[in-house]
Amino acid sequence: MNKKRKRLLAAAMSAAFLLGATGCSAGGSTSGSGEKVRLMVWSPSEDQSKDSGEWLQTCCKNFAAQHPEWDITFVYGVADEATAAATVAQDPEASADVFMYANDNITVMTDAQALARFGGKYEEQIRSTNSDALLNSVTLDGSLYGIPYTTNTWYMYYDTSVYTAEDVKSLDTMLDKGAISFPFTNSWYLPSFYFGNGCTLFGDGTQEELGCDFGGDNAVEVTDYLIDLVHNPNFVVDADGAGMAGLRDGSLHALFSGSWDYGSVKEILGDNLGAAALPTYELNGAEKQMYAYAGSKAIGVNSHSEYMVPAVELAIYLGSAEAQELHYDLRSVIPCNTDLLAQENIAADPVVIAQNDTFDRTSILQPFVSAMGNVWDPVANMGKAIRDGSTNHENAAEQTMGMNNAMNSNGIG
Amino acid sequence: MKKEQSAKAIRTRNDIIVHIVLAILAVIWTFPIFWVVMTSFRAEKGSYVSSFFPKSFTLDNYIKLFTDTTILNFPKMFLNTLIIAVFSCLLSTFFLLSAAYCLSRLRYKMRKPYMNMAMILGLFPGFMSMVAVYFILKAVGLTEGGMIRLALILCYSGGSALGFQIAKGFFDTTPMAIDEAAMIDGCTRWQIFTKITLPLSKPIVIYTILTSFIGPWVDFIFAKVICRANADQYTVAIGLWKMLEKEYIDNWYTCFAAGAVIISIPIALLFLKLQKYYVNGMSGAVKG
Repeated sequence: MNKKRKRLLAAAMSAAFLLGATGCSAGGSTSGSGEKVRLMVWSPSEDQSKDSGEWLQTCCKNFAAQHPEWDITFVYGVADEATAAATVAQDPEASADVFMYANDNITVMTDAQALARFGGKYEEQIRSTNSDALLNSVTLDGSLYGIPYTTNTWYMYYDTSVYTAEDVKSLDTMLDKGAISFPFTNSWYLPSFYFGNGCTLFGDGTQEELGCDFGGDNAVEVTDYLIDLVHNPNFVVDADGAGMAGLRDGSLHALFSGSWDYGSVKEILGDNLGAAALPTYELNGAEKQMYAYAGSKAIGVNSHSEYMVPAVELAIYLGSAEAQELHYDLRSVIPCNTDLLAQENIAADPVVIAQNDTFDRTSILQPFVSAMGNVWDPVANMGKAIRDGSTNHENAAEQTMGMNNAMNSNGIG
Repeated sequence: MKKEQSAKAIRTRNDIIVHIVLAILAVIWTFPIFWVVMTSFRAEKGSYVSSFFPKSFTLDNYIKLFTDTTILNFPKMFLNTLIIAVFSCLLSTFFLLSAAYCLSRLRYKMRKPYMNMAMILGLFPGFMSMVAVYFILKAVGLTEGGMIRLALILCYSGGSALGFQIAKGFFDTTPMAIDEAAMIDGCTRWQIFTKITLPLSKPIVIYTILTSFIGPWVDFIFAKVICRANADQYTVAIGLWKMLEKEYIDNWYTCFAAGAVIISIPIALLFLKLQKYYVNGMSGAVKG
């Protein structure tokens, strides 16, 4: 009995090891005669999935073919742009050489000294194919930290059977002609109204010492407008997927979201799908433009990489026009390379137009100063308070002031 | 005669009230579970619904969960979690019961200090040491590829001996005389443990098995820190969390509910299977 049990345990343990060993998956290795190079590459899982064409694997293969001087073994890992920064910062030494990140996380990685700077010919190459606004999104203290491959912002999807291209320029016209939803309680979206009336965050977005300016009379006017907006019967607060559900059952005709919802919206609206940059809203008789937060998704190189030159070259390739075009074909990832945007088929895509128009015209660069961390909750709470009616016309000024104070404080000191 | 009837009527009335209250509570308690089960069979997509009952039912969510594996490989995650949970369960049950037995039956110098130390250590949350644990595992090369499973098994079972208190309390209720009698008959300590203490302590053994299975089965935080970018090593907790991210939620929400139903099956099975020992053991401890 005793022996048997021991043997059982031993067998069980070795089974665990075996299973572990077979579960191990290394990336594909390409034969070559040159210097041995091992590159770990992280991307979102869709970029590696068979169903969406294995963008990453294809690009890496092409890259290896272009560089016979290296015998590269690729090791693939899964980290989406939003969480890659935290994972890399946790342990840069055991992280990917090349990865993709959302630019608002840039300081997380620079603080962990995990992000390599691009200089020399690489910097020139990146600068020559991207717009200044995009380059600013990955520049910190004058140094370039990534190769942008798409813009990251939100815009408007609408039903073309309800709205014309002229209607969608004004939020008030849209509310008259149909029902719309807006992620009112989400602080990535709500400030767009405040920015429209001259509120600012950290001066031009980099002057942390200037703090947030969301407390003046102009902000109170916006709060008053938002209180009326929530009570409009044609307005629905989009939370927990309510906007998409309304679009699906036909009770809503427009929603505010980004490229990640394109597939679902396309499925619902089909040929009636329209996309546009943000509209204006009428505040005390004047038209005010809404401004979205905008950023970019970029390819970064780990400063702890053992094979720096191949890693940087690979990053440059993954951010090149060729790779961006493939990305667009396989996964509809909207390119940002200036040469590529001039191409006819891409320039005519309504979603590309909407996203890039938003980025160029109706957005502000999302600040990535560290005090930005204090901004999110107070704004979301304001949205909730207006929705629930606890912020109303009587206390709008006081509540707006309170929000501004909270945004300018870290809640501790 | 009349009095008797009215007493009966009062009893009936009380029973009715009690049962109504219980029924209402039962509905409230099972409501979220019922809702998840219904959502898992919902045919309409998306995360938001305007009606409580789905408009149409389907099995597609379950089918998608097990066949659409290119982005979120649920079957693989399920298998990973099952392997980790089963081995962690075996190991930690063994560790915990052994520690409890030693502390209950043996007398040695460091016994009291050990118990105090365990008590104090137990007051700190386990994830406090998370980052340190990660770097230690990395130093011994357990944070890459298939070794992650072993790393997680070690994480979940390593500290289990600190939770000996309940089992020790239970062992203490078994009279020392039984052990002494066995020893006179020639039993070793190990034999007393396996042949006498454990069979007499079924409820606590079952309880230990259940808790040490559920721990790794539902854990999120250690798995997230240790798996990092190794998607093929993800456990169901990470997978279900991923399904609710903004890129996936609209397509995967109903599958998320299906996944939640499926992960409750092994726990439910384990509980049903072990429940009879649990009840039997509770009804009578040591007899003649």
